Amino acid sequence: MPVQAQQGIASPRTSAGLGGLAPALILIGLFFVVPVLALLLRSVTDPVAGLQNYAALLGDGTYARVFFNTFLVAFVVTIVTVLVAFPVAWMLAIMPPALASLLFSIIILSMWTNLLTRTYAWMVLLQRTGVINRALMSVGIIDQPLPLINNLTGVTIGMVYIMLPFMILPLVGTLRAIDPMTLRAAALCGASPFAAFRRILLPLSLPGIAAGGLMVFVMSLGYFVTPALLGGTSNMMLAEMIAQMIQSLLNWGLGSAAAFILLVVTMALYALQLRLVGNSRATGAA
Amino acid sequence: MTEPFLSIRKLRKAFGAFTAVHDVTLDIPKGEFLTFLGPSGSGKSTTLYAIAGFQDPTSGDVLLQGKSLLSIPSHKRNIGMVFQRYTLFPHLSVAENVAFPLRVRRRPEGEVKRKVADMLALVRLENFAERLPAALSGGQQQRVALARALAYDPPILLMDEPLSALDKKLREEIQAEIRRIHRETGVTILYVTHDQEEALHLSDRIALFRDGRIEQIGTGEDLYLRPTTEFVAGFIGNSNFLAAEYLETVGGTARVRLADGSIVKGVKATHKLERGQKARLMVRPEAFRLRPADGNASLTVEILDTAFFGDRRRVVARTGSGDEIDARPTSDSAEVNSVDAAYGRQIFFDPAAAFLFPA
Repeated sequence: MPVQAQQGIASPRTSAGLGGLAPALILIGLFFVVPVLALLLRSVTDPVAGLQNYAALLGDGTYARVFFNTFLVAFVVTIVTVLVAFPVAWMLAIMPPALASLLFSIIILSMWTNLLTRTYAWMVLLQRTGVINRALMSVGIIDQPLPLINNLTGVTIGMVYIMLPFMILPLVGTLRAIDPMTLRAAALCGASPFAAFRRILLPLSLPGIAAGGLMVFVMSLGYFVTPALLGGTSNMMLAEMIAQMIQSLLNWGLGSAAAFILLVVTMALYALQLRLVGNSRATGAA
Repeated sequence: MTEPFLSIRKLRKAFGAFTAVHDVTLDIPKGEFLTFLGPSGSGKSTTLYAIAGFQDPTSGDVLLQGKSLLSIPSHKRNIGMVFQRYTLFPHLSVAENVAFPLRVRRRPEGEVKRKVADMLALVRLENFAERLPAALSGGQQQRVALARALAYDPPILLMDEPLSALDKKLREEIQAEIRRIHRETGVTILYVTHDQEEALHLSDRIALFRDGRIEQIGTGEDLYLRPTTEFVAGFIGNSNFLAAEYLETVGGTARVRLADGSIVKGVKATHKLERGQKARLMVRPEAFRLRPADGNASLTVEILDTAFFGDRRRVVARTGSGDEIDARPTSDSAEVNSVDAAYGRQIFFDPAAAFLFPA
């Protein structure tokens, strides 16, 4: 009887086979694979067949600057996000569950609030005559308004704010899996709070930092709204450039090539992260 | 008088309205293996945590060689501890776990290597140095934890129910290891457990906790053979309690009347009782006999069940007044037939081996 029952469970799965997956495969092909291929095709055929679009992007100093800027912003945003998110995630991981889920829902709620609304709110706060500058000046900390907007500072502040949940969520998961008794044990072994953080907590939370960090970095690479509103003309990012190429210059080939380069870089980073995190999990090396 | 090695002075810990530890005072000589035994919530772990520095006591003091530990943060107390759950650092190898306390103390590399090798030899895990904790069994993990806690030669080792997550066979194996390590290192050990067998097996002395107070402190023999309260008698070993009424003390021994009206003479008089006061007579299971000896008291019982275990026999019986008795008399070839003969009749005990407590 048990053997028959097992067969009864196993057989529908095998008989359904790939046939049952067909709708899903068609969906993925139609909406994910075909557009990427079309993008690639366009980048090497528009306006004429050849690699001239890639040559133009990679050979031109102006475009190189945009690429550099894009990576710089994404890098700075990722670092700042990790620094801000870590203490918040740690607090959420160790606080009583009821309070933690309340704070979680507040964080999630901010994610659901319209992106434009949040970015405009930062414009109001950060501008020369904005709330922050006026408050600092009235207290007497500064004489001149700080340049907080239309530059890297503005983009970083605005984007870190938007990226925080994407860092906090995976990090809380990793930190919750760490037994707080491990840290007590470290303390009794003679580790100062800083030593316990550096030698125990930080290495153990690396998978979460890597997962969240990659997510933030990749999202930042292709970000459009916040850099467009809070950034300056001198530090244009790739997404803004693509928008300009396609909307203003109607240069679909160049825009497609830029988008494709972004995609390749993103996939390369993802592969790198899989390798790093996968390895550290397998061997436990920090 | 020389000052005690470790001294707990009127330690009190309150959580809001709830007082977990009430004015516990205790002196522990160097090299002693002292166990805090008690049911959960009796304050034994809280006392241990105050020594470790995880909890600030509400009042009182903990002195090590005359110096208060309370103002010293955990990481500077130089105390070793093994926890209930496995608290090895999962990303570090066995050797690096043991080396950790030496590394944070910035000891030279050669000394670290030597000490790690010594410690792994002490817990007999030399061949596991490069493994990660996840690749070890629970028992091996606790042995690594023990090696890590002893690596920096702490004057005191705290152990918080370190064997509770292990199965019975492993527990016994590691108990033997702990005894050997205590002998070999001479470290002072404070051990918390709720398992009385473990406490009896390991300890020089046992402090039995109840509701945040030490009910009795002494050797295992003291607690088993000379319990001062009914709680101690009930917690250590198996006990049978019979409802009784105190009559009088004659020549240092007490006379009591049991619920069925029979009189028992020659009971040790350890408590001051009033004539006619309700009391409870405690008899250990092994104090019962199936055949009477001189001076034995007898109980008329209904025998519910008997079983034979080789060296002992188990007899479950009920007295006329409804007290249930679990007796474990030693087996004796002459008694074999008396079990049947006694069926529905009588069992016997030496009143000098019984204890009388106020009800």
